[in-house]
Amino acid sequence: MLYNVHFGINVDVAMPVEDKSKSLLPFLSRPKLLPDESEAEFQSGLQSLLSELDNPSPLAVALISQLNESLWWIKRHTVDKELLLHEAMARLLSKAGNHWDTYDNRKVSETLERYLDGRAEKDEVEWIEEILAESKLTLSDLRVRAFKDAARHIKMVDDLIHRQHQTIRHLQRSIDSIDYKSRLIKRMDLELAALESKQSVKGALTLDDKSS
Amino acid sequence: MTTNPRRSLANQSNALKSTGPRSVAGKRASSQNSRKHGLNSAPDFESSREFHALVELIAEEGFSGFACADIAAGLLNYRRVMDAYYDTYTSPEPVDEFLRDVNVKASIPIFRELLSPSGSEPQDVKEMAAFFAGMQRQERRKGGPVSRRTTDTHKLIRYQRNGIARLSRAVRHD
Repeated sequence: MLYNVHFGINVDVAMPVEDKSKSLLPFLSRPKLLPDESEAEFQSGLQSLLSELDNPSPLAVALISQLNESLWWIKRHTVDKELLLHEAMARLLSKAGNHWDTYDNRKVSETLERYLDGRAEKDEVEWIEEILAESKLTLSDLRVRAFKDAARHIKMVDDLIHRQHQTIRHLQRSIDSIDYKSRLIKRMDLELAALESKQSVKGALTLDDKSS
Repeated sequence: MTTNPRRSLANQSNALKSTGPRSVAGKRASSQNSRKHGLNSAPDFESSREFHALVELIAEEGFSGFACADIAAGLLNYRRVMDAYYDTYTSPEPVDEFLRDVNVKASIPIFRELLSPSGSEPQDVKEMAAFFAGMQRQERRKGGPVSRRTTDTHKLIRYQRNGIARLSRAVRHD
Protein backbone atom coordinates (compact mmCIF):
# COMPACT_ATOMS: atom_id res chain seq x y z
CA MET A 1 0.00 0.00 0.00
CA LEU A 2 1.44 3.39 -0.93
CA TYR A 3 0.74 6.50 1.17
CA ASN A 4 1.43 10.01 0.12
CA VAL A 5 2.53 11.25 3.52
CA HIS A 6 2.47 15.03 3.69
CA PHE A 7 4.51 17.15 1.26
CA GLY A 8 4.43 14.43 -1.40
CA ILE A 9 6.58 11.82 0.37
CA ASN A 10 5.65 8.25 -0.48
CA VAL A 11 5.74 5.57 2.17
CA ASP A 12 5.14 1.97 1.16
CA VAL A 13 4.18 -0.03 4.24
CA ALA A 14 5.54 -3.21 2.64
CA MET A 15 9.08 -1.86 2.30
CA PRO A 16 11.91 -2.86 4.68
CA VAL A 17 12.37 -0.87 7.92
CA GLU A 18 15.54 0.91 6.78
CA ASP A 19 13.84 2.14 3.61
CA LYS A 20 10.80 3.27 5.56
CA SER A 21 13.05 5.23 7.89
CA LYS A 22 14.56 6.95 4.88
CA SER A 23 11.17 7.72 3.35
CA LEU A 24 9.83 9.04 6.67
CA LEU A 25 12.86 11.22 7.13
CA PRO A 26 11.80 14.05 4.82
CA PHE A 27 8.24 13.94 6.20
CA LEU A 28 9.22 14.63 9.80
CA SER A 29 12.54 16.33 9.37
CA ARG A 30 11.90 18.42 6.31
CA PRO A 31 13.89 21.40 7.54
CA LYS A 32 12.20 24.76 7.76
CA LEU A 33 15.34 26.83 7.61
CA LEU A 34 15.91 30.55 7.65
CA PRO A 35 17.38 32.08 4.46
CA ASP A 36 20.93 32.30 5.87
CA GLU A 37 21.00 28.78 7.31
CA SER A 38 22.76 25.78 5.75
CA GLU A 39 20.64 22.74 4.93
CA ALA A 40 23.80 20.64 4.58
CA GLU A 41 24.74 21.46 8.18
CA PHE A 42 21.24 20.58 9.37
CA GLN A 43 21.27 17.25 7.54
CA SER A 44 24.78 16.35 8.70
CA GLY A 45 23.66 16.87 12.33
CA LEU A 46 20.72 14.57 11.70
CA GLN A 47 22.86 11.91 10.04
CA SER A 48 25.37 11.94 12.89
CA LEU A 49 22.55 11.44 15.40
CA LEU A 50 21.07 8.62 13.31
CA SER A 51 24.45 6.93 12.98
CA GLU A 52 24.51 6.41 16.74
CA LEU A 53 21.57 4.00 16.54
CA ASP A 54 21.91 0.46 15.18
CA ASN A 55 19.18 -0.18 12.65
CA PRO A 56 16.77 2.56 13.82
CA SER A 57 13.05 1.94 13.52
CA PRO A 58 10.84 4.50 11.71
CA LEU A 59 9.57 5.83 15.04
CA ALA A 60 13.11 6.24 16.34
CA VAL A 61 13.99 8.13 13.15
CA ALA A 62 10.97 10.37 13.63
CA LEU A 63 11.96 11.15 17.23
CA ILE A 64 15.60 11.74 16.34
CA SER A 65 14.50 14.23 13.66
CA GLN A 66 12.57 16.15 16.33
CA LEU A 67 15.63 16.04 18.58
CA ASN A 68 17.81 17.44 15.81
CA GLU A 69 15.32 20.25 15.29
CA SER A 70 15.42 21.11 18.99
CA LEU A 71 19.22 21.31 18.85
CA TRP A 72 18.86 23.61 15.85
CA TRP A 73 16.44 25.85 17.78
CA ILE A 74 18.95 26.10 20.64
CA LYS A 75 21.52 27.40 18.13
CA ARG A 76 19.03 29.97 16.79
CA HIS A 77 18.04 31.20 20.23
CA THR A 78 21.68 31.49 21.30
CA VAL A 79 22.32 33.78 18.32
CA ASP A 80 19.19 35.73 19.29
CA LYS A 81 20.65 36.54 22.70
CA GLU A 82 23.53 38.37 21.06
CA LEU A 83 21.17 40.05 18.59
CA LEU A 84 19.00 41.29 21.46
CA LEU A 85 22.05 42.90 23.00
CA HIS A 86 22.91 44.58 19.69
CA GLU A 87 19.33 45.80 19.35
CA ALA A 88 19.41 47.33 22.84
CA MET A 89 22.85 48.87 22.18
CA ALA A 90 21.52 50.53 19.02
CA ARG A 91 18.44 51.77 20.88
CA LEU A 92 20.59 53.30 23.62
CA LEU A 93 22.99 54.85 21.13
CA SER A 94 20.20 56.41 19.09
CA LYS A 95 18.92 58.06 22.27
CA ALA A 96 22.40 58.98 23.48
CA GLY A 97 22.75 62.54 24.78
CA ASN A 98 19.06 63.30 24.15
CA HIS A 99 19.60 62.90 20.44
CA TRP A 100 16.47 60.79 19.88
CA ASP A 101 15.49 63.05 17.02
CA THR A 102 19.01 63.44 15.65
CA TYR A 103 20.00 59.81 15.15
CA ASP A 104 17.98 57.54 12.95
CA ASN A 105 17.42 54.30 14.90
CA ARG A 106 17.63 52.08 11.81
CA LYS A 107 20.83 53.75 10.60
CA VAL A 108 22.45 53.44 14.03
CA SER A 109 21.36 49.81 14.25
CA GLU A 110 22.75 48.84 10.84
CA THR A 111 26.01 50.74 11.33
CA LEU A 112 26.53 49.35 14.82
CA GLU A 113 25.98 45.81 13.51
CA ARG A 114 28.75 46.33 10.94
CA TYR A 115 30.95 48.02 13.57
CA LEU A 116 30.63 45.06 15.95
CA ASP A 117 31.31 42.56 13.16
CA GLY A 118 34.39 44.54 12.09
CA ARG A 119 32.89 45.21 8.64
CA ALA A 120 32.31 48.96 9.08
CA GLU A 121 33.85 51.55 6.76
CA LYS A 122 36.24 54.12 8.21
CA ASP A 123 33.62 56.90 8.30
CA GLU A 124 31.10 54.55 9.96
CA VAL A 125 33.63 53.65 12.67
CA GLU A 126 34.27 57.34 13.26
CA TRP A 127 30.54 58.06 13.44
CA ILE A 128 29.88 55.34 16.04
CA GLU A 129 32.89 56.42 18.08
CA GLU A 130 31.70 60.01 17.90
CA ILE A 131 28.27 59.07 19.29
CA LEU A 132 29.92 56.97 22.00
CA ALA A 133 32.16 59.89 22.97
CA GLU A 134 29.18 62.27 22.92
CA SER A 135 27.27 60.03 25.28
CA LYS A 136 30.41 59.53 27.43
CA LEU A 137 30.29 55.76 27.06
CA THR A 138 32.79 53.06 26.13
CA LEU A 139 31.67 50.06 24.12
CA SER A 140 31.76 47.84 27.23
CA ASP A 141 29.70 50.41 29.21
CA LEU A 142 27.20 50.42 26.42
CA ARG A 143 27.10 46.63 26.44
CA VAL A 144 26.46 46.55 30.20
CA ARG A 145 23.67 49.09 29.89
CA ALA A 146 22.19 47.22 26.96
CA PHE A 147 22.24 44.00 28.97
CA LYS A 148 20.19 45.70 31.70
CA ASP A 149 17.88 47.20 29.11
CA ALA A 150 17.29 43.89 27.32
CA ALA A 151 17.22 41.75 30.49
CA ARG A 152 13.51 40.92 30.16
CA HIS A 153 13.89 39.63 26.60
CA ILE A 154 17.16 37.82 27.36
CA LYS A 155 15.35 36.01 30.19
CA MET A 156 12.67 35.01 27.66
CA VAL A 157 15.30 33.58 25.30
CA ASP A 158 16.77 31.64 28.24
CA ASP A 159 13.31 30.20 28.86
CA LEU A 160 13.04 29.19 25.21
CA ILE A 161 16.45 27.47 25.35
CA HIS A 162 15.51 25.74 28.59
CA ARG A 163 12.30 24.51 26.96
CA GLN A 164 14.31 22.96 24.12
CA HIS A 165 16.54 21.20 26.66
CA GLN A 166 13.45 19.77 28.35
CA THR A 167 12.12 18.66 24.96
CA ILE A 168 15.41 16.90 24.20
CA ARG A 169 15.23 15.10 27.54
CA HIS A 170 11.70 13.88 26.76
CA LEU A 171 12.78 12.70 23.31
CA GLN A 172 15.85 10.91 24.67
CA ARG A 173 13.71 9.01 27.17
CA SER A 174 11.26 8.07 24.42
CA ILE A 175 14.07 6.84 22.15
CA ASP A 176 15.55 4.84 25.05
CA SER A 177 12.19 3.27 25.72
CA ILE A 178 11.77 2.23 22.06
CA ASP A 179 15.31 0.88 22.01
CA TYR A 180 14.71 -1.07 25.23
CA LYS A 181 11.39 -2.35 23.91
CA SER A 182 12.94 -3.60 20.66
CA ARG A 183 15.81 -5.26 22.55
CA LEU A 184 13.31 -6.88 24.90
CA ILE A 185 11.28 -8.18 21.97
CA LYS A 186 14.44 -9.57 20.34
CA ARG A 187 15.47 -11.24 23.60
CA MET A 188 12.03 -12.76 24.07
CA ASP A 189 12.08 -14.00 20.46
CA LEU A 190 15.45 -15.65 21.09
CA GLU A 191 14.25 -17.22 24.34
CA LEU A 192 11.11 -18.46 22.62
CA ALA A 193 13.16 -19.90 19.78
CA ALA A 194 15.43 -21.62 22.30
CA LEU A 195 12.43 -23.03 24.17
CA GLU A 196 10.89 -24.24 20.92
CA SER A 197 14.10 -25.93 19.84
CA LYS A 198 14.42 -27.54 23.28
CA GLN A 199 10.85 -28.67 23.02
CA SER A 200 11.38 -30.14 19.58
CA VAL A 201 14.54 -31.96 20.77
CA LYS A 202 12.63 -33.26 23.79
CA GLY A 203 9.76 -34.34 21.53
CA ALA A 204 12.19 -36.11 19.21
CA LEU A 205 13.82 -37.87 22.16
CA THR A 206 10.42 -39.00 23.50
CA LEU A 207 9.49 -40.34 20.08
CA ASP A 208 12.84 -42.18 19.92
CA ASP A 209 12.19 -43.70 23.37
CA LYS A 210 8.73 -44.87 22.31
CA SER A 211 9.97 -46.37 19.08
CA SER A 212 12.83 -48.17 20.82
CA MET B 1 7.80 53.34 5.59
CA THR B 2 5.78 56.45 4.69
CA THR B 3 8.09 59.37 4.15
CA ASN B 4 5.54 62.14 4.55
CA PRO B 5 4.92 62.56 8.31
CA ARG B 6 1.95 64.81 7.69
CA ARG B 7 0.20 62.18 5.57
CA SER B 8 1.05 59.41 8.03
CA LEU B 9 -0.39 61.39 10.94
CA ALA B 10 -3.50 62.21 8.89
CA ASN B 11 -3.95 58.51 7.98
CA GLN B 12 -3.59 57.40 11.57
CA SER B 13 -5.95 60.14 12.82
CA ASN B 14 -8.59 59.20 10.23
CA ALA B 15 -8.23 55.50 11.10
CA LEU B 16 -9.28 56.36 14.64
CA LYS B 17 -12.67 57.48 13.29
CA SER B 18 -13.31 54.07 11.67
CA THR B 19 -16.21 52.04 13.08
CA GLY B 20 -15.00 48.77 11.59
CA PRO B 21 -15.99 46.67 8.58
CA ARG B 22 -19.57 46.83 7.25
CA SER B 23 -19.73 44.11 4.60
CA VAL B 24 -20.18 40.44 5.49
CA ALA B 25 -16.85 39.56 3.85
CA GLY B 26 -15.10 42.34 5.78
CA LYS B 27 -16.62 41.18 9.07
CA ARG B 28 -15.63 37.59 8.30
CA ALA B 29 -12.07 38.69 7.56
CA SER B 30 -11.80 40.88 10.65
CA SER B 31 -13.20 38.10 12.85
CA GLN B 32 -9.88 36.31 12.25
CA ASN B 33 -7.76 39.33 13.23
CA SER B 34 -7.06 38.06 16.71
CA ARG B 35 -6.14 34.58 15.46
CA LYS B 36 -2.45 34.14 16.21
CA HIS B 37 -1.34 30.54 15.68
CA GLY B 38 -4.47 28.35 15.66
CA LEU B 39 -3.12 26.01 18.34
CA ASN B 40 -6.23 26.40 20.49
CA SER B 41 -8.47 24.83 17.85
CA ALA B 42 -9.08 21.09 18.10
CA PRO B 43 -7.13 19.24 15.41
CA ASP B 44 -8.63 16.34 13.45
CA PHE B 45 -5.65 14.07 12.88
CA GLU B 46 -7.59 10.85 12.60
CA SER B 47 -9.08 11.69 9.25
CA SER B 48 -5.70 12.59 7.75
CA ARG B 49 -3.70 10.24 5.56
CA GLU B 50 -0.51 11.02 7.47
CA PHE B 51 -2.13 9.65 10.61
CA HIS B 52 -3.05 6.30 9.03
CA ALA B 53 0.36 5.94 7.40
CA LEU B 54 2.08 6.60 10.73
CA VAL B 55 -0.22 4.18 12.60
CA GLU B 56 0.63 1.38 10.17
CA LEU B 57 4.35 2.05 10.43
CA ILE B 58 4.33 2.24 14.22
CA ALA B 59 2.21 -0.93 14.50
CA GLU B 60 5.10 -2.91 13.03
CA GLU B 61 7.20 -2.00 16.05
CA GLY B 62 5.06 -4.07 18.38
CA PHE B 63 2.89 -1.35 19.87
CA SER B 64 -0.78 -2.03 20.61
CA GLY B 65 -3.48 -0.51 18.39
CA PHE B 66 -4.38 2.20 20.90
CA ALA B 67 -0.74 3.08 21.52
CA CYS B 68 -0.10 3.38 17.76
CA ALA B 69 -2.97 5.86 17.40
CA ASP B 70 -1.78 7.81 20.46
CA ILE B 71 1.79 8.00 19.23
CA ALA B 72 0.77 9.03 15.68
CA ALA B 73 -1.56 11.75 17.03
CA GLY B 74 1.14 12.88 19.48
CA LEU B 75 3.70 13.11 16.71
CA LEU B 76 1.40 15.06 14.38
CA ASN B 77 0.34 17.34 17.23
CA TYR B 78 3.97 18.05 18.12
CA ARG B 79 4.70 18.85 14.45
CA ARG B 80 1.74 21.22 14.40
CA VAL B 81 3.11 23.07 17.44
CA MET B 82 6.62 23.27 16.00
CA ASP B 83 5.34 24.52 12.65
CA ALA B 84 3.39 27.26 14.44
CA TYR B 85 6.52 28.02 16.48
CA TYR B 86 8.53 28.47 13.30
CA ASP B 87 5.82 30.62 11.68
CA THR B 88 5.59 32.84 14.77
CA TYR B 89 9.37 33.14 14.92
CA THR B 90 9.72 34.09 11.27
CA SER B 91 6.84 36.58 11.07
CA PRO B 92 6.85 38.83 14.13
CA GLU B 93 4.65 41.91 14.32
CA PRO B 94 6.39 44.52 12.12
CA VAL B 95 7.96 47.58 13.74
CA ASP B 96 6.02 50.79 13.03
CA GLU B 97 9.11 52.92 12.49
CA PHE B 98 7.10 56.06 11.87
CA LEU B 99 5.17 55.81 15.13
CA ARG B 100 8.33 54.83 17.03
CA ASP B 101 10.41 57.75 15.74
CA VAL B 102 7.86 60.55 15.27
CA ASN B 103 8.28 63.59 17.52
CA VAL B 104 4.77 63.91 18.97
CA LYS B 105 5.33 67.34 20.55
CA ALA B 106 6.63 68.75 17.29
CA SER B 107 3.58 67.32 15.49
CA ILE B 108 1.04 69.33 17.54
CA PRO B 109 0.67 72.03 14.84
CA ILE B 110 -0.19 69.24 12.35
CA PHE B 111 -2.82 67.82 14.74
CA ARG B 112 -4.24 71.33 15.12
CA GLU B 113 -4.43 71.74 11.37
CA LEU B 114 -6.02 68.30 10.91
CA LEU B 115 -8.65 68.94 13.57
CA SER B 116 -9.42 72.59 12.72
CA PRO B 117 -12.04 71.85 9.98
CA SER B 118 -14.21 70.15 12.61
CA GLY B 119 -13.95 73.24 14.83
CA SER B 120 -12.01 71.40 17.53
CA GLU B 121 -11.02 72.89 20.83
CA PRO B 122 -7.34 73.02 21.98
CA GLN B 123 -8.29 70.28 24.44
CA ASP B 124 -9.00 67.90 21.53
CA VAL B 125 -5.53 68.58 20.10
CA LYS B 126 -3.98 67.82 23.49
CA GLU B 127 -5.97 64.61 23.77
CA MET B 128 -4.91 63.50 20.33
CA ALA B 129 -1.25 64.24 21.11
CA ALA B 130 -1.55 62.30 24.38
CA PHE B 131 -3.15 59.41 22.52
CA PHE B 132 -0.31 59.28 19.98
CA ALA B 133 2.27 59.54 22.77
CA GLY B 134 0.66 56.53 24.47
CA MET B 135 0.70 54.52 21.26
CA GLN B 136 4.34 55.49 20.76
CA ARG B 137 5.24 54.30 24.27
CA GLN B 138 3.60 50.96 23.54
CA GLU B 139 5.42 50.67 20.21
CA ARG B 140 8.79 51.46 21.79
CA ARG B 141 8.21 49.01 24.64
CA LYS B 142 7.79 46.17 22.13
CA GLY B 143 11.37 46.76 20.94
CA GLY B 144 12.94 45.71 17.66
CA PRO B 145 12.26 42.66 15.47
CA VAL B 146 14.33 40.26 17.62
CA SER B 147 12.58 41.36 20.84
CA ARG B 148 9.21 40.96 19.14
CA ARG B 149 9.84 37.48 17.82
CA THR B 150 11.19 36.48 21.25
CA THR B 151 8.03 37.73 22.97
CA ASP B 152 5.78 36.03 20.41
CA THR B 153 7.54 32.63 20.50
CA HIS B 154 7.69 32.75 24.28
CA LYS B 155 3.90 32.60 24.31
CA LEU B 156 4.06 29.16 22.63
CA ILE B 157 6.17 27.54 25.34
CA ARG B 158 3.19 25.93 27.06
CA TYR B 159 1.94 24.40 23.80
CA GLN B 160 5.37 22.93 23.19
CA ARG B 161 5.55 21.59 26.74
CA ASN B 162 2.14 19.93 26.42
CA GLY B 163 2.89 18.63 22.92
CA ILE B 164 6.14 16.90 23.85
CA ALA B 165 4.68 15.55 27.11
CA ARG B 166 1.78 14.01 25.17
CA LEU B 167 4.13 12.40 22.64
CA SER B 168 6.55 11.13 25.27
CA ARG B 169 3.70 9.71 27.37
CA ALA B 170 2.26 7.91 24.36
CA VAL B 171 5.62 6.34 23.43
CA ARG B 172 6.56 5.26 26.95
CA HIS B 173 3.13 4.20 28.13
CA ASP B 174 2.85 0.96 26.17
